[in-house]
Amino acid sequence: MNLTINGVLTPIADDDPNRMLLWVLRDELELTGTKYGCGAGLCGACTVIVDGVATRACITPVSLVADRSITTIEGLASPDGLHPVQQAFIDHQVPQCGWCMSGQIMTAAALLAATPAPNADDIDSALGGNLCRCGCYVRIRRAVAAAAKTAAAKTAVTQTHEVSA
Amino acid sequence: MSETTAKPAKSRGWRISRRGFLIGAGVVGAGLALGVTFGLPELHLRVAGMLDNAAGPPSNMPTDPWAWFEITPDNAVKLYIGKAEMGQGVHTAIAQIAVEELGVAWGDLEVVQATTANGPADPSGTSGSSSVTGVYTPLRQAAATLRTMLQTEAARVLNQPADTLTVHERGFLSQAPAARHITFAELMAGKTDWEAPEETIPLKDFRDFTVIGQPLPRVDIPAKVTGQAGYGYDVKRPGMKFGAVLRPPTLEAKLRSVDGSAAATLPGVRQVIIEEGFTGVVADSRAQAQAAVAALQADWDLGKLWQQDELDAHVTVGGDNAIVIQRAGRAPDLLTDQITHQAEYRTPLAVQTPLEAQAALAEWEGDRVRVWVSTQMHARVRDVVADAVGINADNVEIIPTYLGGGFGRKSGFDVAVEAAKLARAAGVPVHVGWSRAEELRHGYFRPPTHHRLAAQLDDRGQIIALRHEQASGDVAFGFLPGFLQVVMGADFGATRGARIHYAIPNIQTVTWRRPLPVVTGWWRGLGLLANTYAVESFMDELAHQAGIDPLQFRLNHLGDDPRSRRMAAVLEAAAARADWGTPLPPGRARGIACCSDVDTVVAEIAEVSLDDATGQIRVHQVTAAMDCGLVINPDGARAQVEGNIMWGVGSTLLEEARIVDGAVALDNFNNYPVLSLRAAPHVETVLLEAGDGQPRGVGEPPIGPVAAAIGNAVFALTGTRLRELPMTPARVQAARAAAPTAA
Repeated sequence: MNLTINGVLTPIADDDPNRMLLWVLRDELELTGTKYGCGAGLCGACTVIVDGVATRACITPVSLVADRSITTIEGLASPDGLHPVQQAFIDHQVPQCGWCMSGQIMTAAALLAATPAPNADDIDSALGGNLCRCGCYVRIRRAVAAAAKTAAAKTAVTQTHEVSA
Repeated sequence: MSETTAKPAKSRGWRISRRGFLIGAGVVGAGLALGVTFGLPELHLRVAGMLDNAAGPPSNMPTDPWAWFEITPDNAVKLYIGKAEMGQGVHTAIAQIAVEELGVAWGDLEVVQATTANGPADPSGTSGSSSVTGVYTPLRQAAATLRTMLQTEAARVLNQPADTLTVHERGFLSQAPAARHITFAELMAGKTDWEAPEETIPLKDFRDFTVIGQPLPRVDIPAKVTGQAGYGYDVKRPGMKFGAVLRPPTLEAKLRSVDGSAAATLPGVRQVIIEEGFTGVVADSRAQAQAAVAALQADWDLGKLWQQDELDAHVTVGGDNAIVIQRAGRAPDLLTDQITHQAEYRTPLAVQTPLEAQAALAEWEGDRVRVWVSTQMHARVRDVVADAVGINADNVEIIPTYLGGGFGRKSGFDVAVEAAKLARAAGVPVHVGWSRAEELRHGYFRPPTHHRLAAQLDDRGQIIALRHEQASGDVAFGFLPGFLQVVMGADFGATRGARIHYAIPNIQTVTWRRPLPVVTGWWRGLGLLANTYAVESFMDELAHQAGIDPLQFRLNHLGDDPRSRRMAAVLEAAAARADWGTPLPPGRARGIACCSDVDTVVAEIAEVSLDDATGQIRVHQVTAAMDCGLVINPDGARAQVEGNIMWGVGSTLLEEARIVDGAVALDNFNNYPVLSLRAAPHVETVLLEAGDGQPRGVGEPPIGPVAAAIGNAVFALTGTRLRELPMTPARVQAARAAAPTAA
């Protein structure tokens, strides 16, 4: 079986197609940036992006994602630098312990991809299922809103260049 | 930030002092003397007074530079930090303290997590909001000494007066006769016989600080937004396998027998380990290990099947064995028959449940073991692991990782011992990572508490007498030796925040210890939230009874000592920021509460609304003002205030564990909900400074006032007093349906 993870076709063992993506990522492929929190889709710490959709890896059997494109926190940045959400989480000094942060960031990245200009309700709604035990919520809201603005500005610059080219 | 584990250079002619520290050693010494003189009740009273607002245990951290610093041949300057980074920003704060005196540029210092085999001995661990206060002076002394030593040597090598040299790019620069630079590493390479300066190197005046007090970005954050930060659950070693452990089905369960033969035949199972008091499995994957544990045929004696009601009845004030922990005037006499007002409060069993569950990897090499573990107490873990596997502590190295949350729960030792036992039996490195269900059921819990308060008011609205009676499950006592319990009398964890800090002529605070069949222990702030909830809600009741504004009522009862003046300042600052006393839109109200803890003072104002139909409380905003003395990193201090408030709001509205049929009736976040973004309030923080140049703790004090501030706001909104946590919709509706509180 093969998984496409962060753009790389990655062979994994065939023996149990029902094992969960989270543990394949963490224990077989050593991509430990995706975290275990609850194992039941209740906390969001394991969130990855599958074909553009924020997905709970802890309840996703690998057989379901074999032909899909999976992005983990390790693959979110581009060669040009950090994703705007990652940069905003640094700029606003969001993480405390950090354990939930991969999931927060992946969920926020998927939100901005689908809804480039989210309002406060959109942010609360999209990230409402991502628990943060340290309580970084004030800064999460602030950083996601800021990332949306940065991403919009970057898009605007790109479009201007395309027009002038 | 590096995760280097190499030993720093130490043997350079410096004498290294490594005094061990015993919890409460000072208390025992002073206490025994007092006990002999005054008898136990007086001793208990005095010990409680000594511990009230104390800044954590004395740290006894070394001032020897080589205990803290390493300069490598390629001129890296490394600072070894024993404190665990669990999101409180302690590595950054401690690095700021070091850089202030060392004089290097901020980016020139590399922070390294110390293990039990390197770095400064740190037996007190990372707890009690005491990291910065414990490190502050010894580390500055060590950094100043290192700088002086290097500068003296640079002056000799460059043949220039020492005071003409400046620290520049991890070395010293001399300007005359021509600019010359020599690196620290070059100085180190040429000399092996360093000697400690005879005199104590003077430290900077705090008014001259340029690094301490700056909101510098946290050193651990970049790795935490890219998935690169290494936690206990993430540790990988070549050839590693996965372990899982058989857990008792009830609180009192005793294993009669266990048959592992079926489990041993399951796919991927390497080893089934059955020994006295411990049964575990090692397998190729976590799922296989868990399946094998489920397949163990265990015969249990379940013991008594406790129910929550029985625990609650047990945790009730009154009866024998009362310990008086505060006494002023003649409160007992006055409150016998002249009570103006009384009320009872309850807080429930709750669980820390950090988002990273317990996790450790153990790797044996001969008769030595290294354990990578998510821990707040690496020195204690070393000793406990050594005892558990029967080897000398010198043969155990504990390597603390980043912690995916601590909150008191990473002060346990269980997972490190489990990994060490399984790895030895299997002969390979073994990782043990608990499931959420294990984390919720098999650790130690915040104990339930019960409080009864009574007061007498005079006709001007001043409190003449106030009594706080409190019963709690153990917090610290479950983990302390019996002789300390005898000396201390009251569990300092359970009573944290219980003593009254207002200037009232007659005060009595009494506590009852109620050991429970469920293990209870460390939790963020220990008893601070529960006790402050009771005392500060009751203060609000008295304010309404007296017909005086709750802010003014508190100010009217503050004394003239420095801490009371600081308390008045934070109350007034919070009130100013939250526009206390100005009208709010219909359906909104504010409540105020305050506390002092580890000599940090905090006031908080909550703004709430209530869904009439459902009884759901919504906390819209919490405004906090805190004076924690000298602030090392203001942005870090604000983050701690914000986190404490979220934790407090969750505890106030949601968190409750119950014992059903002898077991903790929790499975996952579905039946132990914690605060989510949707319910998170906006937070405003005002930082004040005492102005004496002394830092105080920030990791716990702001949790204290949250529940009382919310309950007081709900009373202001509805006239209904909520005297039990959590304030769930069902409890709110029940309280509103009952007769309105006479207040």
